[in-house]
Amino acid sequence: MPSQSIDLPQGTLDLLILRTLSLEPLHGWAVSERIQQISSDVLRVQQGSLYPALHRLERRGWIKARWGTSQNNRRAKFYEITKAGRRELEIEQHAWQKLTAAVSQILETA
Amino acid sequence: MLLHDLLFRLRTLMRHAATENELDDELRFHLERQTDKYVRSGMKEAEAVRRARLEFGGLDQVKDECREVRGVSFVETLVQDLHYTARTLLHSPAFTACAVLTLALGIGANTAIFSVVDQVLLNPLPYPNPQELLAARGNDSLPNLEDIQRQTNSFVSSGGINIEPMDFTGTGEPVRVHGAYVDAGLFATLGVQPMLGRWISADEDVKGGPRNVVLTYPFWRDFLGHDPSVLGKAIRLSDNSYTVIGVMPKDFTLPRELADVFVSLWVAYPDAAAERDVHFMHTYWRLKPGVPLAQAQAEIAQVDHRLAEAFPDSERERGTVLIPLHEWLVGDVRPALLILFGAVALVLLIACANFAMLLMARAVARQRELVIRASLGARNGRLIRQRLTESTLLALVGGAAGLMAAKAGTTLLLALKPAELRHLNAIPMDARVFMFVFAISLLTGLLFGLLPAWSASRGDIAEALRENARTTATGVSRRPLRSFLVTAELALALILLAGAGLLIKGFLRLRSVNPGFNPANVITMYLQLPGTRYPQIPMQTNFRRELLARINSFPGVEAAMITDLPLAGNYVGHRVVVDGQATRAVGTEPVVQTLSVMGDYYGIMQIPLRSGRDFSAMDRERQPRVAIVNEAFVRQLLPGQNPIGTRIDWTRSSEPHVWMTIIGVAGDVKHSGLNQPVDPAVYAPFSQNDEAWRKFMTLVIRSRVPVASLVEDVKKQVWSMDSQIPVSGIQSMDDLVAMSVAQERFNMLLLVSFAALAVALAGVGIYGMVAYRVNQRTHEIGVYMALGAQHRDVLRLAMKDGVKLGLLGIGLGLTGAIAITRVMVSVLFEVKPTDPAILIGVALLLAAVTMLACYIPARRALSIDPMTALRSE
Repeated sequence: MPSQSIDLPQGTLDLLILRTLSLEPLHGWAVSERIQQISSDVLRVQQGSLYPALHRLERRGWIKARWGTSQNNRRAKFYEITKAGRRELEIEQHAWQKLTAAVSQILETA
Repeated sequence: MLLHDLLFRLRTLMRHAATENELDDELRFHLERQTDKYVRSGMKEAEAVRRARLEFGGLDQVKDECREVRGVSFVETLVQDLHYTARTLLHSPAFTACAVLTLALGIGANTAIFSVVDQVLLNPLPYPNPQELLAARGNDSLPNLEDIQRQTNSFVSSGGINIEPMDFTGTGEPVRVHGAYVDAGLFATLGVQPMLGRWISADEDVKGGPRNVVLTYPFWRDFLGHDPSVLGKAIRLSDNSYTVIGVMPKDFTLPRELADVFVSLWVAYPDAAAERDVHFMHTYWRLKPGVPLAQAQAEIAQVDHRLAEAFPDSERERGTVLIPLHEWLVGDVRPALLILFGAVALVLLIACANFAMLLMARAVARQRELVIRASLGARNGRLIRQRLTESTLLALVGGAAGLMAAKAGTTLLLALKPAELRHLNAIPMDARVFMFVFAISLLTGLLFGLLPAWSASRGDIAEALRENARTTATGVSRRPLRSFLVTAELALALILLAGAGLLIKGFLRLRSVNPGFNPANVITMYLQLPGTRYPQIPMQTNFRRELLARINSFPGVEAAMITDLPLAGNYVGHRVVVDGQATRAVGTEPVVQTLSVMGDYYGIMQIPLRSGRDFSAMDRERQPRVAIVNEAFVRQLLPGQNPIGTRIDWTRSSEPHVWMTIIGVAGDVKHSGLNQPVDPAVYAPFSQNDEAWRKFMTLVIRSRVPVASLVEDVKKQVWSMDSQIPVSGIQSMDDLVAMSVAQERFNMLLLVSFAALAVALAGVGIYGMVAYRVNQRTHEIGVYMALGAQHRDVLRLAMKDGVKLGLLGIGLGLTGAIAITRVMVSVLFEVKPTDPAILIGVALLLAAVTMLACYIPARRALSIDPMTALRSE
């Protein structure tokens, strides 16, 4: 693991989870692995905060959970994005892009 | 969205066990996968497990957070905490019992007093729209009342009532009952309908109207056996036959009077009804809705003015002052009740301080457990919540126990109640009392549980662990709070003690007031001659003379009679004229008490004659009229003169004066109360009485034989002369004196018990603190002793802190007492609220208690074996 990894800014974890799950249903461990992989090991998910976030999203109805079998034949809890979740993802993604664009514009010009 | 949320929460709640298991499975799965990953990357199994765990963080904490976001955690954790708390409390029965008992005492005392306050001060009067009801300060006559009612617009109605004894005859022994002479307006004013039948109507309430009577429920129950067909039947009251037309409901009471039967004053006593200038009726008024009191008062003042002009002789000095009925009823007891309520609140504060200290001591004892749980990931908030659950559970149990204590307490209060609270026949535990107990328990549990919980959670884990390693340093962070609580307890206890001391001193002062007579071994009985059979004075005089002669013939018995006894609350007042003094304007002559006597009244009551002579057998009918006056009469009306031989008479509008000659001066008697000034009084012989309405008398009998047997013998003598005369008001003079100070004794006893409770609780508090300190410093004391410290030094070391805090508390308490006892002025008799002797006395007493409470646990320090103490490290 590279020592340069950074912790997630507040509030972005939900967005990343939704994005990750929009590709395929995954269990918790896989979600954290996937985020790490895709970000080329730059982003590190605090594993302790992953599960409360998953449960929160589930309660809001943006993802739903079902028990299935993992690759190594173990019982695991898989999370799957819902329609409401996809809508939320779009909104959040849009907001994020606007935010980052604005922030980088300031950083470049100011 | 909302629906989804709700269903989600519900599902989680319903599937509680399953959800918990799923959470466990999910997290375990995660840890296993992570461990796998590390093992595959070449890590050793044990190292991989450790690494995965470390990365994950506190497992309990994550679980807590997951439960929390699922939104059911509150109920769930509460159930968990309650379960856990109940288990741990049952494991330490001594602690639990102490905490519950402490709170039960504090809450119980508060609840008992609150239920009295609730019943007396807060409960609305048992009449419809009670806020519209007014009472007049002072009495009035029926003609005046009728004039005012006619000439004002502010009132829906008004009514008057006067209670006179009536003889109820016809069923067994004659009974003296309380007859209420009323007008028809009274019940319209109070707004209460009879349970059976009807009220006296306005057209019956006239001179010569039908003799109708309305009964109270207790009279109907006790004397007529609940007869449901009583309406229309006749009963005999004071030798007249009355037809029952109504029965009042069971819970009906008059505002202040005690009555058994109601009759129309115009019908039953027309002469008194017509008398404008004899003001003997309590009057009640009902305002029209929306009319302010000030407006009604202004209107009534105009009528008063007109009455004064129309009847200058008698009505010039009268005036009607209206006050809200509730105010009139409770105004006298309110200050005392509020002081008691304040005092009992201080007791609760002390109990709460002890409760908090108990919780703190327990927290320290359980520190290792708490540290372990904290290091396993339990968050501070969770730990605080658990401890709050514990303190609140304890407080609620304490409150429940307090409720039972209060039940017993109110029974005691009822037994002690003074005359001012005589309407208080029961102190029901109503919903308000339950709310009070619940609120006070909850508040106690949360507030005083939060204090120590908060103070314990402040320190971080590392600090707590370090503290735990060296017992000598344990609790350093909690010392300020504990010291504060102990100091506060003693200060509060001192304030209560000062209040109690002041009341005791005032009460002793009051009891040491010389009433002017010797109450010992004197028994009294009240008789009234029925006007129908004894209409003329000679018949009355013969009866009296014969009865006294018969009783005086009993061996070892001396008897006399007087119209109204001292301290019994009654006298007849007359305006008096002194022969030879400048004539005063009509209606401004001084008022004096007039008392008729027969027999050796002064000898039996042991009232000294200051000068002149006593009445003799010669001072009788058709002889020159004579009188004995008291010293106050001489002081106020004949200053600097020799009263003997001076002639006096009542003011008379028509007849010429028939002068009474003063033949003697009797010592002053406290007629209206031990704390009341003595008013001028005139005694005259019954045999020279010229007022036929003085049909009543009280026997005073001094006896060397046991009183109980005497009462029956006297009754037999009365009934052998006239079987229709009730004998009532049988009481000893000692009881009468005691009853006259019942309110003061009530206040004193209650405040003294609260103070005793406070001192005991504060003593336990400081004892607990010193014992705790000794326990914590075993090691230190052991070292000290090993170094050769003497017993005295060890005692000093152990007691130092407790004594210092105690003295500080006593000092603060003294300051507080000086500031606070001022509110007691109204209930103190001849004692200043800052009486130095009392303040110093109670400070010394409390200091002694403090020393004792420190000494007992400190002595335990002496038994510490230095070697054991050192080895235990």
